[in-house]
Amino acid sequence: MSEPFIVDAHVHTGLPGVFFAPESGPDHLLAIMDLVSIRFGVLACDHVTLHEGAQAGLPILRQVYEQSEGRLLFLGVFDPRDADAGLAALKQAADWPGFAGLKLHPSLHRVWADDPSYERAWRFAADGDLTILTHSWSVSDYNPAQRYSTPERFEGYVRQFPQVRLVLGHAGGRGSGRREAIRMANEHPNVYLDFAGDIFCYRLLETLVASVPPEKVLFGSDFPWIDPRANLSRVLLADIDDQLKRKILSDNAHAVYKIR
Amino acid sequence: MTVEATIRQMAQTRREFAGKLRFFDAGIWLGRPEGFPLARPLPPEELASAIGRDFVTGGLVSHWRGKTASAQDGNLALQAILADFPEDTYAVWTGLPLYPVEPGPLPGQGDLPEKVCGVRVFPKSHNYPLAGWVVGSLCNWLVEHRLPLFIWHVELDWSSLHALAGEFPELHIVVETQTQKILYHSRPLFALMQQCGNVLVELSNFIGPRFIEYSVREFGAERLIFGSFQPMNDPLVPIGMVIDAEISDSEKFLIAGGNLRELISKVRP
Repeated sequence: MSEPFIVDAHVHTGLPGVFFAPESGPDHLLAIMDLVSIRFGVLACDHVTLHEGAQAGLPILRQVYEQSEGRLLFLGVFDPRDADAGLAALKQAADWPGFAGLKLHPSLHRVWADDPSYERAWRFAADGDLTILTHSWSVSDYNPAQRYSTPERFEGYVRQFPQVRLVLGHAGGRGSGRREAIRMANEHPNVYLDFAGDIFCYRLLETLVASVPPEKVLFGSDFPWIDPRANLSRVLLADIDDQLKRKILSDNAHAVYKIR
Repeated sequence: MTVEATIRQMAQTRREFAGKLRFFDAGIWLGRPEGFPLARPLPPEELASAIGRDFVTGGLVSHWRGKTASAQDGNLALQAILADFPEDTYAVWTGLPLYPVEPGPLPGQGDLPEKVCGVRVFPKSHNYPLAGWVVGSLCNWLVEHRLPLFIWHVELDWSSLHALAGEFPELHIVVETQTQKILYHSRPLFALMQQCGNVLVELSNFIGPRFIEYSVREFGAERLIFGSFQPMNDPLVPIGMVIDAEISDSEKFLIAGGNLRELISKVRP
């Protein structure tokens, strides 16, 4: 076996209050990564930072990065409800090793993705040549908060800031959001899709690579919601070319998040 | 070794092992799915090819109509094609409370057709409580015929299932992890499994970190049942979870199909 080469482009760490997952810390994640040749993880914040903003957790994420010996790069969450404090913390972290971009979660923060309050985050990303990873999903009858994060709501900012790379996390989810996500990845050079989460639709990989350019699709898990092993065999055993698998598992995330 | 060569090797190792495990699938669905707008329905004439691919060698077939239209319509649809089922393939009928008596075909009304090896109930969708005073007679009938009871977690409330599992300790109850994440219910699920040895869990959306390892350690591999929920979901998800689990190969064989085959081998017509 060669050196680990896979990038899990969408992970979190920390004990989630909303479900039982005792093995959800950075060490637990690294242990699973070691099992299946995952070299890097893009840490889209821990639970504290997701809920309380960048100012609450960026130093901890930096510590995680250092303790992981550079394997867990991290994103700083931007919560538009507390933009001043968050942006100050993000500006401070911008030069830290391991800092890989911004994370948005309109559904969690209950602020529409096209709300003007996000403009400062997009401008910050544009000025710093940073990537934004956002939660995205489909309209859901059992989870109405998902309507804050449907893909098309990001499109205005995607047009306004074409230099910012936007990764639509969860590829728009399992319903109509996925169609929109695919459309946007085709129409906008700066829009990418990760399929983290329980987007377990039949033959999703084959569908995605047939629908969008091959450099647009990123492997991700959404740990600790999802064990990284759940999505890995779907890629390895997918009916697609090995070079495409390499792009999805590694090359695309290296390019999008500038992983060296 | 190049990255592409490593990918090929990782794929080949998984392919070979998955082939040996002979997955026996508790969740193969015919009919028009509800709530999965992008899913392509699996027509009966494609059942044989669904069984033959993705390392699935057989399993249990259900019909969406048993939930969406009526239990009887789903059972009729399955009954009509039972004779054409591929080898090692069986049906799961939809059940209702035995009283008040309703027109058939339903479990509890005489003998089941051959090849029906399980019963699923939809208490929430079909508007009755999952309580002994309503479904007790059906449970007694299932125990008598040694038929396992299948139920989606979104169709139950945990306290009722806990009471039912205690009231009918000889009834094998398979909690299925659909049609939404069971992750958010992992606390009551694991408490239930710890207290009720007759409760098993199906794996199509059992995807929390190290959930398989945890369950094997806490409850034993005998309590896990492979299911894919195809064609809505990708069988390669639970297959990958089993292949890559840090448990013994013999435990993987049990989970992949040994447990479910054993369960249905006891069914009395």
